[in-house]
Amino acid sequence: MNFLAPFFFLGAAAIAAPILVHLVRRTRARRVEFPTLYFVRQVPQRTIRRRTLHNLLLLVIRCLAILLIVIAFTRPFFSGGSSAKTTTGAGATVVLLDTSLSMRRDQLFVEAQRRAETVIDDARNEQISLMGFDKRYAVVNRFSTDKNRLRLGIRSLNAGWEGTDYEQALRGAESLLAELKTTVPKKIVMISDFQASGWNHATATFKLASNIELSTIDVGGNSPVPNVAITNVEARGVIYGQKYVDNVAVHIANFNDSDVEHVAIDFQINDQTVEKRDVSLKSRDTKVVEFTGFNLNDGSNRCAIDIITNDFAADNRFYFTLKREVPVKALIVESPTRGRSDSLHLQSALTTDDDLPFTFTLKTAGSVDPANVPEYSLIILNDAGTLSPALADSLNRFVMNGGQLIVATGPRTELNSFSNALQSVMPAILTESVQTKPGESAAISEVKFDHPIFEVFQQSGRLAAAHVIGYFRSQPSTNAAVLARFEDGSPALVESRAGKGRVLLFTSSLGPSWNDLSLTPLYLPFVHQMVRYAGSHETNSWYGLGQTFTVTRDKQGSVPAIDTPTGARLNENRTTPDGDLLVTGREPGFYRLRYNSAPDFAAVDIDGVEGDFSKLDFGQFLASVTGGAGNAESSEAERKLSNEELEGRQKVWWSLLLLALILLVTESLLARRTKVVKMVG
Amino acid sequence: MFRLRRSKQAETPPIVPTPSSSAQTPARFLDPELLAQINSLELLARAVVEGFMSGLHRSPYTGFSTEFTEYRQYNQGDDLRYLDWRLLGRTDRYFIKKYRADTNTQCHLLVDTSASMKYASSSLISKLQYAQFLAASIAYLLNRQQDSVGLVAFDKRVHTHVPAHNRTGHMRTIFGHLSQLTAGNVSNLSESLHQLAEILNRRGIVVIISDFYDAPDRLKEAFQHLRFKGHDLVAFHVLDQNELDFRFDEPVLLLEDAETQEQMPVLPDVVINGYRERIQRHVDEMRRCAAANNVDYEMMTTKQPLDYALFSFLSRRAGKA
Repeated sequence: MNFLAPFFFLGAAAIAAPILVHLVRRTRARRVEFPTLYFVRQVPQRTIRRRTLHNLLLLVIRCLAILLIVIAFTRPFFSGGSSAKTTTGAGATVVLLDTSLSMRRDQLFVEAQRRAETVIDDARNEQISLMGFDKRYAVVNRFSTDKNRLRLGIRSLNAGWEGTDYEQALRGAESLLAELKTTVPKKIVMISDFQASGWNHATATFKLASNIELSTIDVGGNSPVPNVAITNVEARGVIYGQKYVDNVAVHIANFNDSDVEHVAIDFQINDQTVEKRDVSLKSRDTKVVEFTGFNLNDGSNRCAIDIITNDFAADNRFYFTLKREVPVKALIVESPTRGRSDSLHLQSALTTDDDLPFTFTLKTAGSVDPANVPEYSLIILNDAGTLSPALADSLNRFVMNGGQLIVATGPRTELNSFSNALQSVMPAILTESVQTKPGESAAISEVKFDHPIFEVFQQSGRLAAAHVIGYFRSQPSTNAAVLARFEDGSPALVESRAGKGRVLLFTSSLGPSWNDLSLTPLYLPFVHQMVRYAGSHETNSWYGLGQTFTVTRDKQGSVPAIDTPTGARLNENRTTPDGDLLVTGREPGFYRLRYNSAPDFAAVDIDGVEGDFSKLDFGQFLASVTGGAGNAESSEAERKLSNEELEGRQKVWWSLLLLALILLVTESLLARRTKVVKMVG
Repeated sequence: MFRLRRSKQAETPPIVPTPSSSAQTPARFLDPELLAQINSLELLARAVVEGFMSGLHRSPYTGFSTEFTEYRQYNQGDDLRYLDWRLLGRTDRYFIKKYRADTNTQCHLLVDTSASMKYASSSLISKLQYAQFLAASIAYLLNRQQDSVGLVAFDKRVHTHVPAHNRTGHMRTIFGHLSQLTAGNVSNLSESLHQLAEILNRRGIVVIISDFYDAPDRLKEAFQHLRFKGHDLVAFHVLDQNELDFRFDEPVLLLEDAETQEQMPVLPDVVINGYRERIQRHVDEMRRCAAANNVDYEMMTTKQPLDYALFSFLSRRAGKA
């Protein structure tokens, strides 16, 4: 048995009190002269002897009760010979030191360092390796018996900004131990605040090797620190108009077990406060605060959300960027027909919104100069009829070089010539034209609502309301993805990449020729989503800490210099095959991308969940990690807990206090019954 | 000896004194604790007896005074030698003619001075003091009636013996010896009574004042011995009230036997019931023993007024008469 607070044993001196009282009261028995003891002597003396024993029993009960209370205060626990201090034998130990963001609060990391040094100090002839971990792990010291070097390694670590992943840390430690070919006892000592967010029991499959012992040292205490944090910001990173008409959704979580009233929220753009809000959160509640209708400057805008609280400061600010870009050119190609253009609805739909990434021009297939095709970023072939070989060739190259192509069929689309002309880039080969019987129609029934084009229809699911009277059956290519189908299973919308570009094929018409889609409210969002999808590029408004983002080259082909949020110049040399720079965010804040034309920014944010300091379920964690189930494994898991955790789980003190209380009640009843407090010997 | 004369109202019931009746008398100064403040035993005895006598005058049970009448109506069985023939001749009524008592009756006051008699609990006076007051009062009362009074004090042996006389100044001798008595030795009551039975040759009244801490069987033999010698026995069993109650404030006591100095740790709460049962049994046995041997027995506590003892004494003597 071990004790967390052995100095409370000094309280055992209190046992002297009942003993002294017993002795003092015993000597105070008054001597009284009585005429004769003849009759007194006739009273059975065994009663007196029994009372003597009775009072001795009372004395023992009192002493025992005091002793139990004292022992309870020392917080005893049964260690079974484990805990971090019980490093025995010449084994190998990996000390895992949590350097995640949550260790920045209070003095947790200092305490963790102290505990790590204690582990090293207590080790005897033991090889120890030191690893720091957050969401990743890093080996600080490989196996060594040089305690000074290990201590230096501990002191070189600092609490970082990233979240926690215990599984990754354990995997790293296990692989490090696996490097040892010897059969020495192997152990992992994990020092952390043991946040619940660092371990997902539902998805965890990792189990430590059976020959590795796991000890945990919890420096986080048992009372989670209250905290309100911004966990996420949802925003469209790029717009093309001046006003931001979408919603910037800010997720604010209250990790407290109590309600929080009137948390001030400050929305800033380029260090200027745009809007202030006030929000109240119930315990363990998350609220979404939306901002919209504000104006943006051209280029990249640095945005930040602040919540004004006095808790853990690191998660009270969230960074993101909003870019306002100039729309690029797009072309709608239709067949030369007399009368009303079949692209009327399409053209109307694409010019009513100034927040589209394109500005559209409508031309007939014959009027398009193949040489001018590369000027456009997006070309929509809207039932364009027969394409000239030059135009077809130009379109193929357009796609292969990164152009976006949307192809819509119709009554003027010739099956053979069309397929042959764009065979190299088309996602599907048209096989036959289908016309429904008069009075009948087909519906678009099988839709991938998780695709960006259809996600806006996910709630309503009303895409099937359109009546389709004509379409092409097609055979998708191997690299194509069918995003929607007609009732008979024929692809309605097919997507594929070709070269650097992308092609979307709609096997019915975008005009009223083969369906009434253009006459329904579904048409506008459908067309807008297709166009936005075609014009989309990587426009994350923020990146998570540790996430890698691409810094593209400028028009001159050179990568910009990058400043970290703290102002240091970043020296990254990882590039994509295209020569773009890969940057991993290691600090929260704005990374400045120093382009020659105009600076750009990339926002990096911490993992908001790291602000939830709720405690890990140790039993579940250890049982899962050590691969055990049932009592044997449970006890084994318990054996590997730190002293505080063992004591906290066992709660021996509670039983002792209860027993002491029972003893005191028993003593009280006995004493009351006999009406004798003290006894002569 | 006592001349207990009946009134003319022969149907007057006999006197049965009770503590309550005595308490209703104005002689409240007969309280032993008050009397203890009187230094002179003679004065004390006089106060007791005079107060007692005056109390009798005023009591509803009159007809008990020595100043009353010398005739009483004849009852069947009366000795015809005492019939007043003249009165019979004159009035044709039967009256017994009573005479003053003989003055040569001897009374021996036996006072136990063993160590147990010095016990006094909450009261001011010890059992021995009470015995002294009682003996002095009885001696005064008897002397007032011209009877001879003697005194014997004993513990394990007889150490004081004043032969019975009724001459002038004898009372002072009695009172002198009484006042000198101290308790302090082991008692052997029955043995002492046997010894006295041999010493007291002339028949008389023997008044024993003691706490009677001896085996009733042995006392019975001693009583029989005295009775065999022709003595009329009166036993005053004097006890302290706490000897009957066994009440102590302390939860624990170290009791010491007054005579043997033996010590014993005692828990009064534990012992009290057993003790009371046994002391009561002893008193009952004493009472039975006395009754069986025609001994006038009275159990007194030191808190009881002395006139109660005198009432008891006189009423029992009246019964004998």
